[in-house]
Amino acid sequence: MLSPYGLDIIESCLTCKMRAERLFCDLPTAALQSFESIKYATAYPKGAVLFVEGQTPRGIFVLCKGRVKLSICASDGKTLILKIAEPGEVLGLSAAVSGKTYELTAETIDPCQVNFVKREDFLRFLKEHSEACFKVAEQLSEKYNVACHEVRSLGLSHSAAEKLAKLLIEWSSKNGESLKQEPRIKLALTHEEIAQMIGTSRETVTRLFADLKKRQILQAKGSTLVIRNKAALRTLATTG
Amino acid sequence: MLPSNLDCAQRPDRIFGDLGPDVLAEFDGIKSRQTFPRGAALFREGQSARGIYLLTEGRVRLTVCSESGRRMTLRTVGPGQILGLSAALAGGFYEITAEAVDNVEAAEIRRKDLLHFLHEHCDICMQVVNLLSENLHEAYERVRAVGLTRVRHPHSHTAQHN
Repeated sequence: MLSPYGLDIIESCLTCKMRAERLFCDLPTAALQSFESIKYATAYPKGAVLFVEGQTPRGIFVLCKGRVKLSICASDGKTLILKIAEPGEVLGLSAAVSGKTYELTAETIDPCQVNFVKREDFLRFLKEHSEACFKVAEQLSEKYNVACHEVRSLGLSHSAAEKLAKLLIEWSSKNGESLKQEPRIKLALTHEEIAQMIGTSRETVTRLFADLKKRQILQAKGSTLVIRNKAALRTLATTG
Repeated sequence: MLPSNLDCAQRPDRIFGDLGPDVLAEFDGIKSRQTFPRGAALFREGQSARGIYLLTEGRVRLTVCSESGRRMTLRTVGPGQILGLSAALAGGFYEITAEAVDNVEAAEIRRKDLLHFLHEHCDICMQVVNLLSENLHEAYERVRAVGLTRVRHPHSHTAQHN
């Protein structure tokens, strides 16, 4: 079934082809059957907000397709993008478990399919299915490790150049690109959004990209970035 | 074998304190007492996660380090704290270094034993989930504190990469 946003909706978790590859989704059949009865499969366009930082948690959002930007906002409007969530990730998890407000804002950057589960249904599901409870523990642990990584990156990096280089290296390590001599990155974010990820200004990001291209460390081919000099980029990531 | 957890106060390790006698005996069986002199590391950032540590005495400083050697203290914790939990559950590497500020005593539980124990006891696993949620809330607060004090106000223009 095609949705209005061009997505091929996955109707059933039991027959999903990606089930075995995703941490939370790879549950025993009985648990998945139970999950099917409590989930609501929904499609969202690009730019839709799933939940807002500070909102009372309604439930969790299992990201099936598309990507979601997760950000934190200060009271004066400054924004930090914590990460780009990929399919398989469970969003709003810690808030739904603890009952505290969502700590992040989640906004789609692609058309997305999301399986929403109400908080009370989810908590009951976890109590009834130990394997699901364990997988939630694993996901929370991974999120915690990502947060620690972010603290290190933001708190200890000397410069915006260092942080940008680290981010590009991280992005280039996906989909087997890191094995290539010249890895490629499909950019899905604007300079403004990249600036929000590394805690600097849009002008600085634009200037840094121009500098990297001038030094032939990067090359732009449309919306794809090609890393021409991996070694130089790694040096920048450690010394700034 | 360490003394049983019967007299624990309300601390993170309380999730392992309020157990029935059989489960308590099982849990006591997977703990091993470790001591660390002042300055010793319980574990280091980047090391493969071999287990968790339940602090029973002394204080531990938690830090992260950059590739160039700059170090930042996240916080100092005392008895009752559980260290290395997220690394052990995620099955990767310790994201932080834990160093003894005083002479420290801790109960170590090997990763394999912890995973087996949690698989066997869903109610305790659920309490671990609650604890991890609390830890994650704190981590996000830390990200906010570190990241948003350095961010400049977003510019009104956006630009696609060219």
